[in-house]
Amino acid sequence: MTQVATPDSLPADTGNIELAFNGREYKTERRGDKFFVRARSQGGSYGKPQQIVITTGSHNLQILWLETGEGRTLQQFPFAYIVPEKMWAPTLATFLIPPNVKEYYSTGAWNGGCMDCHVTQGQSRFLAGTKWDTHVAEFGIACEACHSEGRKHIELNRNPIRRFRIHLTTKSDPTVANPADMKGPESGLACGQCHSIWAFNNMTDKIDFNRHGVDFRPGADDLSQRFVVQPNTADHVEQKDFIRRTEPDFFQNRFWDDGMIRVTGREFNGVQASPCFRSGEFSCISCHEMHLDSPGQTDAKTWARTGQLRPKMDSDAACLQCHKDMSPRLVAHTHHAADSSGSRCYNCHMPRTTYGLLHAMRSHQVSSPTVHESIAYGRPNACNLCHLDQTLAWTAQYLHAWYKQPVPELSQDDRTIAAAVQWILKGDAGQRALITWGMGWESAQKIAGSDWLYPYLIYSMVDPYPAVRFDAWKSLRTLPGFVDFPFKYTDDDHSLRETAERAYEKWQREVRNVNTVYPPETAIDSDGRVKQDVFQRLRSERDDKPIFLAE
Amino acid sequence: MSRPSKPTRHIGEPAARNLRFGWWSLLVFLSMGAVLETLQGFKIGWYLDVGNETRRLMFTLAHAHGTLLAAVNIIAGLSVRTERLTLRPSVSFALIWAAILLPAGFFLGGVITYDGDPGLGVWLVPIGAALLFYSIARIALDLSKRK
Repeated sequence: MTQVATPDSLPADTGNIELAFNGREYKTERRGDKFFVRARSQGGSYGKPQQIVITTGSHNLQILWLETGEGRTLQQFPFAYIVPEKMWAPTLATFLIPPNVKEYYSTGAWNGGCMDCHVTQGQSRFLAGTKWDTHVAEFGIACEACHSEGRKHIELNRNPIRRFRIHLTTKSDPTVANPADMKGPESGLACGQCHSIWAFNNMTDKIDFNRHGVDFRPGADDLSQRFVVQPNTADHVEQKDFIRRTEPDFFQNRFWDDGMIRVTGREFNGVQASPCFRSGEFSCISCHEMHLDSPGQTDAKTWARTGQLRPKMDSDAACLQCHKDMSPRLVAHTHHAADSSGSRCYNCHMPRTTYGLLHAMRSHQVSSPTVHESIAYGRPNACNLCHLDQTLAWTAQYLHAWYKQPVPELSQDDRTIAAAVQWILKGDAGQRALITWGMGWESAQKIAGSDWLYPYLIYSMVDPYPAVRFDAWKSLRTLPGFVDFPFKYTDDDHSLRETAERAYEKWQREVRNVNTVYPPETAIDSDGRVKQDVFQRLRSERDDKPIFLAE
Repeated sequence: MSRPSKPTRHIGEPAARNLRFGWWSLLVFLSMGAVLETLQGFKIGWYLDVGNETRRLMFTLAHAHGTLLAAVNIIAGLSVRTERLTLRPSVSFALIWAAILLPAGFFLGGVITYDGDPGLGVWLVPIGAALLFYSIARIALDLSKRK
């Protein structure tokens, strides 16, 4: 969502911060209820103040936008506020993007991109160069975003007799769209109009969208000027070929190689590709709700911080709504104790394989874990995301024994070294981010043990990608002895190395139990050191292709 | 020497009815206040959940109107003692029924709710409001006529 910048909508210290990044220094000040930023090159004098006019994001990350003096064109304040940590960081360091990228979402980016989904009924209105004349109906995600146009509905329902007639008879009002009354695909698309990877059908539609805003109205069965991009489906072949030609990294930056979505905020791609979706009933509101009107719903803050779920939908109840027969044969199906994390539907069928906003998130493509997905597409499978200390061979053996899955051909490393260790040492930045975050997951720590996680998390605190370093630090803080460990994940390389060395010393001297015996799959010696031959070999094989998870 | 006895102040039957009703009504609605506090105290979802905001509002209105109108009935009953006011039977009747229908409408409107709208019981509220308007207006007029 977008909010006008006010003392209530901005982080508390916004009027009094001094930050430096990329050779420039920034200083903010508050005048009444308005906030301003001045910038200067290091050593120079501060320039003209620019007003902070709006902010996007509210639960996880807040990005501020500045006036430019060029009409309604906005410029990004280069620092974002990480809400749960109550800290400012360079915006570039809050996305999983290559460390050499120097600019992401700059002047005009809000007008030309963010506002497509972060407002209701926006019109970008490109003028020329980096100039825009943007208009919006409402800054927040308001009623009409999901319920379509409301003028007639509001006018007619001023009459209480009409309202009561509806309450007591049809219970649904034809003058307004209601995702709860729609079939699954239409209902899902009401959310998916934003929560998906979408593209324009053609240049004419793009221009129309830019000038007049979105044509789609909730209740429709397609996005009108746009379409939901699924890499491997047979629709929109021409448009997808065009994307491949003009933006070669488009799919790699958003999807796993089998077409499963890997960035957060685009959950409808996953929902649409789920087998459950074929029933025609399954949609986002099978588990989520936007109005907190279910019995047992708690306060708005909790709801907002727990995935905006309906009550009890953070449990097996979400799946058992349809899979009613599964309840009595739960253990026979899962082969795990009924009360264990291995028997929770979500953990196996919606593992955390999407990433964004500095954390791993559950995939919304309901699927079953396979070793094949890890070997062929590099996606950590659900089994090894929990059993961090086990090899792919171990997983393959159980999936074969329990579910008759074929055992794929596996390398020597896949038979002897834990999958998580391989991903963290030789995986690409996307895999490393998922695993460093996953090492802080309580359920995984209980199953796989946590004694051996320290050296890998400390090693990851010097990863070239800031997002990986941030997750490593967050996960390290879940372990005994490091709860309050200070670390500035955006520091320079020298400081990062120093802090990591300090953390390692602390672990070796103060935290590590010298009697701990580490499983051989973790590649850690009895003295708590990662086996150097394994480490050097896997590290040298690290997949350093640039990863740019475009949220 | 015996003191002369005070002149007996006779409260008319309608006024006495309003006085009795007022005190009993006050008891009922103050008790309702205690019940609402208890629902708050024990965090009862049926009353406190985010989706039950309309119910909370309706019950609060029932409690407030019931208490206030009980006090109005008591004041009306006592006002007769000033000998400046005679409570007409119709006014007495209207005041009592206003004090029943208004809070009852809000209360029933909160028992079953429809999204942002209260339940059907809320239709008792305008009837009660009309009775209240009649009785207050009548009292004001009657008082104005007396010198």
